[in-house]
Amino acid sequence: MALVLAESREAAQAAARAVQVEYEELPSVFDPEEAIRPEAPQLHDEYPGNIAGHHVVRKGDVERGFAQADVILERDYTTQLIEHAYIEPEAAAAVPGPGGGVTVYGSIQNPFSCRRAVAGVLGLPLARVRIVQSHMGGSFGGKDEVMSAMCARAALGAQLTGRPVKIVNTREESLAESYKRHPYKMHYKIGVRRDGRITAMEIRMLADAGGYASQSLFVTWRSTVQATGPYVVENVKTDVYAAFTNNTYTGAMRGFGSPQAIFANESLMDEVALELGMDPVQLRMVNGFEGGSVTATGHKLDEHTVSLKEVVRKATEAAGWEEKRARLPVENQGRAIKRGIGMACSFRGCALGAEGVDAAAAIVSVQTDGSVLVFSGLAENGQGLKTIFSQIAATELGVTLDRVVFMETDTSTVPDSGPTVASRSTIMGGSAVRIAAQKARDALFEGAAAKLGVGPEELATASNEIYVASDPARRMSFDDAVKIAWDEGRLMAQFGWYGAPHVGWDERTGQGKAYFTYVYACQVAQVAVDTQTGQVVVERVTAAHDVGRAINPETVEGQIYGGVAMSTGYGLLEEVELNEGVTRTRNFDEYLIPTAMDVPEVVPIIVENADPYGPYGAKTIGEPTCELGAAAIANAIFHAAGTRVRALPMDMERVLLGRTLRPMRGRRGSEAR
Amino acid sequence: MTQMEVYRPTCLDDALQYMWHCSQAQGNAARPIAGGTDLMVAARHAAEDAGQPAIWRVVDISGLPEISGICVDGDEVCIGAATTHTEIEESAVILATAPFLAEAVATIGSRQIRNRATIGGNVMNASPAADSLPPLVALSAMATLASVRGRRRLSVSELVTGPYRTAAAPDELLLDVRFRALEPGARSAFIKVGRRRALAISRLAAAVAALFDSDARIPDIRISAGAAFPMPCRIDQAEQVLLGSVYSAELAEQAGREAARAMVSATGVRWSREYKEPVLAAIITRAIRQCAAKEGLDVWPE
Repeated sequence: MALVLAESREAAQAAARAVQVEYEELPSVFDPEEAIRPEAPQLHDEYPGNIAGHHVVRKGDVERGFAQADVILERDYTTQLIEHAYIEPEAAAAVPGPGGGVTVYGSIQNPFSCRRAVAGVLGLPLARVRIVQSHMGGSFGGKDEVMSAMCARAALGAQLTGRPVKIVNTREESLAESYKRHPYKMHYKIGVRRDGRITAMEIRMLADAGGYASQSLFVTWRSTVQATGPYVVENVKTDVYAAFTNNTYTGAMRGFGSPQAIFANESLMDEVALELGMDPVQLRMVNGFEGGSVTATGHKLDEHTVSLKEVVRKATEAAGWEEKRARLPVENQGRAIKRGIGMACSFRGCALGAEGVDAAAAIVSVQTDGSVLVFSGLAENGQGLKTIFSQIAATELGVTLDRVVFMETDTSTVPDSGPTVASRSTIMGGSAVRIAAQKARDALFEGAAAKLGVGPEELATASNEIYVASDPARRMSFDDAVKIAWDEGRLMAQFGWYGAPHVGWDERTGQGKAYFTYVYACQVAQVAVDTQTGQVVVERVTAAHDVGRAINPETVEGQIYGGVAMSTGYGLLEEVELNEGVTRTRNFDEYLIPTAMDVPEVVPIIVENADPYGPYGAKTIGEPTCELGAAAIANAIFHAAGTRVRALPMDMERVLLGRTLRPMRGRRGSEAR
Repeated sequence: MTQMEVYRPTCLDDALQYMWHCSQAQGNAARPIAGGTDLMVAARHAAEDAGQPAIWRVVDISGLPEISGICVDGDEVCIGAATTHTEIEESAVILATAPFLAEAVATIGSRQIRNRATIGGNVMNASPAADSLPPLVALSAMATLASVRGRRRLSVSELVTGPYRTAAAPDELLLDVRFRALEPGARSAFIKVGRRRALAISRLAAAVAALFDSDARIPDIRISAGAAFPMPCRIDQAEQVLLGSVYSAELAEQAGREAARAMVSATGVRWSREYKEPVLAAIITRAIRQCAAKEGLDVWPE
């Protein structure tokens, strides 16, 4: 409505209070089901029926598939609106210049997307807008559009005043303004034979896009690809819709359309297993992908190791599946607090897939003293990208890691590499760093080879030395090789550019090679359910993830710990409540995320099956870790207490009563007098 | 942001003088601050809700020795209002005389909050979910209020007159809470139901203290609940089920049901009843059974 610039926070607040806005109240709609009815108010002229997006999969013949089934189940699942809860709220500082342009520093996930937004608002060419990413505490997909908007406001202020402008959100402002994870309503119909084989699945999902399209089209596309789970299903009919409402807009959040779909399809698998009297693991083994399987979207998985059954086996064995499935129900008899274990497994497409152009750049620049600068078009968001990219550069150059300095991502330094999303950093950006480092190394080899009297292809490098691979005694220091290259005028700063292998998608049938490769995961949750209060404690999560190759096992484990923590919150605690579009959950006294006391013991299991496309065979780990925990917890709650919860969060009321209770909330719990 | 005018008194009398002075100015009573864990949050909300800056007068009582610490005063245990939850949680005196009070305050917030927050603040904020209130009420604790006009004693259940309301006048400061130690050999238990395992506000809480004689008869029983009644109280109907009777798990369950019935009749039918009614019954029962288990008369967990 208005932007206030002032010398002090107090002055800005006083001025903001003086602004008077007259609103004309328009008809509104807050429920996505209502929004897509013909009589609903139309929120955007260019999106008739309030449909922000609609994806389909049409494979085989579901009617024939259901006719072949011995058992048909229909179930509804719902998920809630949740917040990323990054540690630091949004912040940006814009300064005029250089050259009549503007430079913006900030807590920005995707500097290039941000640059496009700022340039568009200011009417400047991209070359006059410079975005420098500040050190990030956290983002989880959450600092994309909301930061583009904030940076554009700050930049506009800097342009108008010729002075620096800083904007920092409070947590309350952040919770009110920032986009959230889509709530979904999902209807599943599944047909299975007595032996467990799935004959057909018919799926309808409806996502609440809120007021603006943001990433809804892409979020719901990933849900579409993953809707049937990692199972061979011949006959599939899937419709995934995103509907505009007057709620807070929804966008990217770690998982990106998969946590919702997996909560539904992996809960459903356990419901089917129960119906068939089959062990849940066995049902997954009957239907799960293996090498050469064809996905619901028609992609034959024959280019990588399909390790679904391997991760399921490893996770369930480590969790003591068979023994606990048998023992815990016996132990639970006569007890108020009952334990159980449940599992969920998933496949996930790596990187952007058929969402759009997928390529990334890096610069590796060897300095004249043998130290190394690495510039990347993909940005550190707390996931450990700096470490991984520095490691890759050091490995290829054969230098120790202390020589490598990773530079903050700066849009005026490196080429547009797309957004840092879709768990694509290592697989895409890592490949770009590797290519750049190899080219810089080759430049050094040229000079060193002549000196050592061999061809450059005969050289190798490690531990700050360059040597003849077949005769390591013939060697020189890395620094001497740098001196030679410098004296000979060789270019020691090199670009790397890596484009993803071909993918494709037919919008009308939902068939195609959606992603060029996939990762597989299985998580087993052990819970204790207080059947008298509905409280659930997640005691342990055993998580097996195929990452292709773990470039840094500690950071892989870090991702697993964090992902399990987030999915525990998604499963049990978190929900942003809106009242006619107005955020009621204003701070962390009401928006409950797991504390250290609530995060389970996590047992990470790294599974490695090298992928032909990733650097050193590496694939993806960021998002896969947080997409299946809620389903595993739901299945564990059922095993413990016999209560099937089909809505998130699985709070005390839902677990005890089977439904949530909604107050018109009065005063806040921590309010004082 | 709410602005604060902070007064740092040199002694208790100085603090009371200041509070009296402020109370004379209409609507601008001084707000005592010690840990600040409720007041600072309230200041933030007030600024948001009001939409314009307010100036709060705040009197910082955190350093006053007259109202800090735990002592045995004759036949009473006395906890100064500015005593932190951590001090109570770790106090040998409290662990010996009212262990369920130590258990209760140990569930408040987080370690960081408990290191700052005080029992005086917990009582005077008078949240229905205040975790110190159920055990204090079960102990029939008394509160001492002081002003330049003098001192008075009233029971904690009289002091708290409703959600976020107390009987204290604007110039009155809570000095301490006092109670008689539980009988030697008495058992006590505190159970909190929160949405997570730390930093959680009680959805419900149960505090029970019970004395068992050698025949498993119960000559003394005190039952109280948190986040259940508009005002903290002992639940007489539940206590009557057990008082003078020989302990059994069935009686514990009956007492739980009576407690839940008492809650519903006190609060009327609210949105949360469907959850709170069975859960209060369960945790009151469980707290009684835990007391009995400590006496060797029952087993918990089963």
